[in-house]
Amino acid sequence: MKTNFRYDNKAAYALLTPIVVLLTIFVVIPFFYAIKVSFYNWSFYQESTFVGFRNFYMVVTDRLFGEAVWVGLKFALMVVPAMLILSFLFANVVKNLGAKYSGFVKTSIYIPTIISGIIASVIFVFIYDYMGGLANYVIGWFGSEPKAWLADVATALPSIAAPAIWLGFGFTALIMLAGLHDIPESYYEAADLEGAGAFKKMWYITIPLMRNVILYLLVTGFIAQISQFELSLVMTNGGPLSETTTPNLYILNHFRNDVMVGNSIAASLLLFVVLGSISALIFRVLNSEKAVDG
Amino acid sequence: MKENWGKSKPWSIMLSALIIMALAVTGCGGNNDKGSSASPSASVSPSESSTPSESGEPAESESNAPAEKVKLEFWAQKFEESTDAWFKKWTDEFNKTHENIEIKLTIVPGDAWAQKMKAAQAAGKAPDIKTISYGNIANGAKMGEILPLNDLIDATAFDDLYDNVKEFVTVGDKYYAYPKLVEPSAVLFYRKDMFKEAGLDPEKPPTTWAEVLEYGKKLTKKGVFGFSIAQNAADLGWSSWGLQYNAAGHLAITDDWSKADINNDGYKSVFNFYQQAYQSGIMPKQQLAGYTDIKPFGEGKLAMQVIGSWAIGQLRNSYKNILDNVGIAPMASIDGDQTKPTATLGGWTLAVDGKSEHAQEAASYISYLLAGDPNIMIDFFKGSQFSKFSARKSVDEAMKVDVDASKDTWRALVAEKVIPYAKAEPIYPWDISFALSTGIESAMRGTSVDKAIAKAEKDINDFITKSKLAGTNPKS
Repeated sequence: MKTNFRYDNKAAYALLTPIVVLLTIFVVIPFFYAIKVSFYNWSFYQESTFVGFRNFYMVVTDRLFGEAVWVGLKFALMVVPAMLILSFLFANVVKNLGAKYSGFVKTSIYIPTIISGIIASVIFVFIYDYMGGLANYVIGWFGSEPKAWLADVATALPSIAAPAIWLGFGFTALIMLAGLHDIPESYYEAADLEGAGAFKKMWYITIPLMRNVILYLLVTGFIAQISQFELSLVMTNGGPLSETTTPNLYILNHFRNDVMVGNSIAASLLLFVVLGSISALIFRVLNSEKAVDG
Repeated sequence: MKENWGKSKPWSIMLSALIIMALAVTGCGGNNDKGSSASPSASVSPSESSTPSESGEPAESESNAPAEKVKLEFWAQKFEESTDAWFKKWTDEFNKTHENIEIKLTIVPGDAWAQKMKAAQAAGKAPDIKTISYGNIANGAKMGEILPLNDLIDATAFDDLYDNVKEFVTVGDKYYAYPKLVEPSAVLFYRKDMFKEAGLDPEKPPTTWAEVLEYGKKLTKKGVFGFSIAQNAADLGWSSWGLQYNAAGHLAITDDWSKADINNDGYKSVFNFYQQAYQSGIMPKQQLAGYTDIKPFGEGKLAMQVIGSWAIGQLRNSYKNILDNVGIAPMASIDGDQTKPTATLGGWTLAVDGKSEHAQEAASYISYLLAGDPNIMIDFFKGSQFSKFSARKSVDEAMKVDVDASKDTWRALVAEKVIPYAKAEPIYPWDISFALSTGIESAMRGTSVDKAIAKAEKDINDFITKSKLAGTNPKS
């Protein structure tokens, strides 16, 4: 029997060409150019001078860069798990709602996703305002003194994590929901017959079958949150001290202030390595598997 | 099968052509705001640089006129609206009166300035003329980013400058920019009515740091904080220079840039002052607005605020109803001696780009706008409600005759009691100021002063060694 399809290389290449061309222009060439430039003292008005690994040395030995990466990790550890757990619970609730209500709920939780990070930051700056902000008004009901949410070393980073969760929640919840709908109903029916409770069903059916969805959300979530910078740029400008200076904000600050550009490019490349290793680590710990549904 | 494929082939080609076009359009547009992706600097420069390309070149095609018109790009940083309007007004005027030169003015917001400028420089499309602050001139000159103006602008124009300001734009034996204004970084604004309520003499603002703290305590009550000054490292970095001069007589590093010079009593007093002000509860624990914004004072949430003289303009425009109750004084000095510096003189100048092909024409615009008819500058100072100050003697002379200017007591106070004692901004890299101000901020948040100073000293010395800064001061 002949197969009823054939390899159509021409069409395949034709369809691949645009993305390959664009990736080459906007990603591959700049990437290799950046690697080259990172070995130079790069200035636009004078001859660039080759400095070897000096830019990298400067970044690696900069205490602030290490702190920034650490801040990024802490931030991602606050945001990603909280977002995943919340949206998992939420998706379960939505799944069992009637079609009419679920449409409304899905739309409304997706709204924050289409709001720009900058606007969200501004809204939350108002909420955290020291005099007359909503947050201090609310804790005032319980007789609490106003808190310096964004200026206190202990509360600054969690205060920025809150809008990040709010912004990313809708997207993860919808993906989770899609994952839930993909689990065949018959598994649950079988479990019911065996007398499994809700928790058992979640533990032995839902979570294992959601593995790939969770893996995807973990990897993209970690990368997105570690490279987050507009929230801290607008809300705290990296302060208090360097408590909320995420790696990308560190790079941006150097790009804006430094006379030479080599330092910020070296820092960007190092951040690329950091993000790459984190993704690799997550993939290693949580192997992705081909779905085993019937 | 084959026939089918034959038919669909043009479709697939057209489809992919469409996709190419669509992606090209979205790809170009989308790339700009992708700054948060892994390697922003790598992706931003090539794509952003393509945007300003409409400038310049197409001029040749329409050159039927005998004398070819020189088209110049001018980027001005965004300031108050009155300043933007002034730039527009007088640039139009210049274009009307100069047939062979056309200046194209672009106002660039401050937070986009560095990115936009770097992208343009990388593409060789930097503007011919740009605004540049005093603190950046020495480095710009060293890097060849701006041209010396000695041969381009008449020497008499520079003779008109006050001597200390002339110094700000000089590197080696050349002038690299022409000043537009000076403004002191720190002046004390206080509420006379609140002084009275607290039993203080409204005509006697505090003159020593101890008095500031004492008055601050008396003025703090429910809903009103007694005192406000910069409280995060980014603002402290530059706004504390005046107080550093005040207490220590010098800035954070030695003149030859070889090491930190902050482990001394002067710097300890500076750290102590900020620490006490913050910890005693007379300042809000979280800043109500950035250092450059007088909004919380205008709204009555502060009794005393230290802020630059530019706040005069904001007060006069936005908070007219409290003006009668506002007093203004030089920032207090450590020991009450008000002839010691309490502020640095910041300000803005215009400079010609190092790669400009029409440096002469660019310089002629600068000298028309800033060094020519004093009335052009007076128009600017009026628009700013006299919150900024002239760098030129002749403009001040002309202003004495002007009714509005001569009656203005705030202007007189700043011009006579603050500016003469103010110092120039330092030109060493920002990292040093930032390391120091991070030390001040950590002291405010509870680190002991000695520890904070020791850490800042180490950070500064590390930076100096790593970036081989010793002996590179372009002005020594």
